[in-house]
Amino acid sequence: MRKRHHQADDAEINITPMLDIVFIMLIFFIVTTSFVKETGIDMTRPSNQPPKTEKISEVIFVKIDPSGQIFIKERPTDVRAVRANIESGLALKPDASVVVAASRDADAGLLVRVVDQARVAGAERVSVVALVE
Amino acid sequence: MPRKRQSREDDLDINITPMLDIVFIMLIFFIVTTSFVKEPGIDPRRAMAETAEPKPHGNILIGVSPDGHIWMNNRRVEITDIRQMVEEAVNENPESSAVVVSDQESPTGIVIDIMDQIRAGGVINISIAAEPDST
Repeated sequence: MRKRHHQADDAEINITPMLDIVFIMLIFFIVTTSFVKETGIDMTRPSNQPPKTEKISEVIFVKIDPSGQIFIKERPTDVRAVRANIESGLALKPDASVVVAASRDADAGLLVRVVDQARVAGAERVSVVALVE
Repeated sequence: MPRKRQSREDDLDINITPMLDIVFIMLIFFIVTTSFVKEPGIDPRRAMAETAEPKPHGNILIGVSPDGHIWMNNRRVEITDIRQMVEEAVNENPESSAVVVSDQESPTGIVIDIMDQIRAGGVINISIAAEPDST
């Protein structure tokens, strides 16, 4: 009887090495974890595939020229007026998507602001293309 | 008498089972949430945007300096290297998404080229870094 009891004690698994490994893994993951705190706005680029045979919906075209001047419908516009212009454009054509065509030399910050203003104005699809001069 | 002392010593053992439970849960939490971020190595002045939203899953960060130099993984790279580096990141984590951290004065052409290269590397979710603008 006594002997059997002793045997049962021996049969216990020694978990100390496993604990060592688990703690080392825990410390490794705590140290290497970095939570990304980046904020940004989504950008869509038109795909390279040719458009399928579906109805081409209307487009609100915003152009940014190399000097940073914004044109909507070929009319010079200030960046603060972009939102109002796109809102009125969307009121006329609710399904329209906004295409921002930026010159390659324009500032990226301006492009971000225009896309941002278009999204504030309620445009659901905003795409970005590079203007070919 | 000796028997009793033996019994008391047994009682003094600390029960480590609850601690182990917590340690395992923490381990699993950190394994699941760890994503190895590729820091760009520069900190440009980001554009302001009212619709900026956090991108917690953006683990591919590509920096663009005001003069159009591209930074990734803490070193300067060429535009032709981006595709391969993005492909490697996708192999490690198929749900990668990319954030282009461009300066306000970076040329738009570089940013658009980078976005094309990221897409060619197999990442669909691309955003441009912007700081939330409350005004």
